[in-house]
Amino acid sequence: MSVFTLSQSDREKQLLPQLVDLVAHHRRHCAPYDRILAASGVPSISEMSDLPWLPVRLFKTLELKSIPDDEVFKVLTSSGTTGEVSRIYLDKAAAATQTRQLGATLQTVLGPRRLPMLIVDTKSILKDRRSFSARGAGVLGMATFGRDHVWALDDDGAVDLDGIRGFLAKHGDQPFLIFGFTYLVWLHLYEIAREHGLDLGNGILIHSGGWKKLVDQAVSPEEFRNRLAAVGLTRIHNFYGMVEQIGTIFLEGPAGGSLYCPDFADVVVRDPETWAELPPGKPGLLEVVSTLPTSYPGHVLLTEDLGVVHGVDDGDWPGKRFSVLGRLPRAEARGCSDTYRSAEA
Amino acid sequence: MRFRFGVEGDPVAPSEDRLTVGDPRVVDFLAGLARKLLAPAVARRHPELGSLGYFLRPAELKRSVARMTARQDALVFPRGNVFHLPPANVDTIFVYSWAISALAGNHNVVRISSRSAGAAEVILDALNATDADPVIGRTQRMITYGHDDAVTGALSRWCDLRVVWGGDRAVDTIRKLPLRPSARDLTFPDRTSWAVLSVPGWRAADPAARRTAVVGFANDAYWFDQAACSSPRTVFLVGGAGGGTDTAAVRAEFLDLLLDVVDQRGWTVDPAMAVEKRVNAYELAATGAATALDFPDNRLTAVTLAGAERAPRRWIGAGAFPFAEADSLLDLVPAMTRQDQTVSHFGFTPAELRAFAVELGGRGVDRIVPFGSALTFGALWDGYDLPAEFTRLTTLQS
Repeated sequence: MSVFTLSQSDREKQLLPQLVDLVAHHRRHCAPYDRILAASGVPSISEMSDLPWLPVRLFKTLELKSIPDDEVFKVLTSSGTTGEVSRIYLDKAAAATQTRQLGATLQTVLGPRRLPMLIVDTKSILKDRRSFSARGAGVLGMATFGRDHVWALDDDGAVDLDGIRGFLAKHGDQPFLIFGFTYLVWLHLYEIAREHGLDLGNGILIHSGGWKKLVDQAVSPEEFRNRLAAVGLTRIHNFYGMVEQIGTIFLEGPAGGSLYCPDFADVVVRDPETWAELPPGKPGLLEVVSTLPTSYPGHVLLTEDLGVVHGVDDGDWPGKRFSVLGRLPRAEARGCSDTYRSAEA
Repeated sequence: MRFRFGVEGDPVAPSEDRLTVGDPRVVDFLAGLARKLLAPAVARRHPELGSLGYFLRPAELKRSVARMTARQDALVFPRGNVFHLPPANVDTIFVYSWAISALAGNHNVVRISSRSAGAAEVILDALNATDADPVIGRTQRMITYGHDDAVTGALSRWCDLRVVWGGDRAVDTIRKLPLRPSARDLTFPDRTSWAVLSVPGWRAADPAARRTAVVGFANDAYWFDQAACSSPRTVFLVGGAGGGTDTAAVRAEFLDLLLDVVDQRGWTVDPAMAVEKRVNAYELAATGAATALDFPDNRLTAVTLAGAERAPRRWIGAGAFPFAEADSLLDLVPAMTRQDQTVSHFGFTPAELRAFAVELGGRGVDRIVPFGSALTFGALWDGYDLPAEFTRLTTLQS
C-alpha cells in the first residue's frame, strides 16, 4: 500500500479543507498561535500557499501546543547548534498517528514486513544522554521499522567489518534495510563496501541528514547514487523531515533525484523577497505542510532550507517533486554586543 | 598574536616612553589619520568613517585637549596604561575610545577581533599608512589574538584602566580576570535605544523637514543593522491626543517616507534577516506584547505594541520598528530603565526635552539627541566623561 497516490489537484482538494480546519483548531487551542495570526492577519484561504505559516524556529523559543498539560504524552526535542532546542508536544493520539504514518510512508519502499536492518552508526549515540540528539532519535525512530539490528560502526565510530560481514552472511540473500545519515553512509559504508567487495545488492538504503558535508567533498546526490550503484546498492531513498513535523517525511522516489510528498503532506517554495509561491524550477525557501500535527501548530512551517520544485505530477509518484538545496545562512547583526568569549566557552 | 598596528614586542613590558595629555606627536598622528579617513573614496564606501574622520580633525582634537586640561584646581596627567576590548561587530567604536585615550597621553593596547572586517580593515590600513613619530608605534598597539585568557589576563594586570565594550556577557566574562588593585574597569554593557516622535511636531513640520528627519532616522537605524547600542528600535509616537487616526496617519506617512529613503539608498535586507525578523515579531505577538504586525517589505517590519511598557529591549532585526503611543514624554519615564542609552527625537520643544531629562533624573537614558545623531559618537558616552576617565589628577597646593 502506498501513501504516494494523490495527484496535485486531488491532494489540494483533500488537504486544504483539513488544513483550514487545523488552522481553526490550533487557534482555538493554542493561544500564542491565535495571537500571532490575529496580529499578522489571515487572508481568505483558497489555496495551499494562502495558509499562514510559522517560521520553524519559533518552536525553539516558544511553547506552542494545542493540548492541555495533562494530555502531554511525549515531548520531542531537536538538537540545536547554539543550544536552542525545539520542543514538540504530542498527546497519545498524535504520537500514534505519527508512528503509523511514518510506517506507511516507509512501507511504500520497504514492503509490509519488517526487514533485517543494518544501522550505519554507532550504538554509543544512544548511551551518552548528553549527546543524545536528533541523530540518536532518528536512529531509534527508524529502528522500529527493522529487525535483527546490527550496528555497522563500533563504539569508537570505526567500521565493524566483521559485524557487517556477519549481517550479510545471515541476511544478505534476502531484502534488507540499511539506514544511516548520508555522510556516514558515504564515509563508512561506501568506502568499505568498495574496498572489501561487500555485496549490498539486496539492500534498500534509507538515508537522510543533509548534503553539506558531502558537497564539501564535492559529492553530489547524483554522484552518491551512481557510486553506490557501482557496489550493487541500487534501491536508495533519501528523505527530508524534521522533528517539528514529526511523522511526515518527504521520500526520494525509486528513480532518484527528487523528493515526493506523502498523501497527507505538501510543499510550497516561496520567494524570500515577496514571500509569494514560486513556480517549478525557481529555487526559494521551503515550506512544509502536513495534516499530522494536531497537538501543536506545526501544520504549516517555513523552514530555513532552500529548495526547488522540479515538476508536478510528472515523476515516479504523483504530486510535487522537489529537492532541498541547502540552508539559509543565519542572520548576523553588526551589534555592539559579543566582544569576547572566554576560552572555555 | 598578530600586531595590526604598532611595534611588535611584549605589550606588557615596561616602557621608558612618556606622553603628555594632548601630546603634539599624538595630535599630529590623529590629524593625519583623519585626513586619510575623510578622503572621498573612503568616505563614499564607508560613510561611518566620515563621521570618525570628522571627530578626529585638528580643530576637534584641540577642543578636546582644551577641555581635558581646563582645570585650575589640579594638574591633569595620563591615566597610564589602558587596555581596550572593543566589540567585534561595530567596526568604528575601537577608534573612538582609543583615540580619546591616546589624546590623553595613555599607552594603549587594543584587542582587535579576528572577525573584524570591512571598515575595521580600512581603518587599520589607514593607521599603518599615516606618518607617525616612532613613539606612536611603541606606545599604541592594536593586536589580534584568539580567546586566550592568559593574554587577556596579562594585559588586565598590566593596565590602569580596562575598557570593556560588547555587552553584559562580555563584561561578566572579562571581569573574572583580575585587575591590579589600583586599576578599574570602564564598562559598556547591553544598552537599548529608542526614538520619540512628536505627533503635533510632525504635523507642524513642512514636507522637507519631515523628509530630513526620516533620512536622519534611517541612518541611525540601518547603519549598524539596528544592532548598535544607540540604534533606535521602538518608536514612541507622542502627543497624538489620545492616539487615534491622527497618530495612525503620522505613523503611516513616517513609514512610507522611511521605505522611500531605504529604497533610494539601495539598502537591502537579506532573506535570513527577513526570517529573523519574522521569528522575533511573531514572538512579540505570541506573548501579547504586539497586537499587530506589518511586513510590507523585507526591509521594513512594523510592529504595533500593546503598550509603551511592552517595548522590547532585545534586538528584533535590521529594519524592525515597534511602535507605541504616549500622551507626553513624561508618560514614558516609568518605562525607561538604566539599560536605556539613547533617545533620539523629532518635533519636540527644548522645554519638553529638558522636562523629560529632568524627570528621568539619570535613572535611565544617557543621551537625548535629534534624529540623525544617534550614532554620532561623543566624548560623553554612556553617561561617562571619557576624557576624565582617561586622565588622572594631581592636587597641587603650594
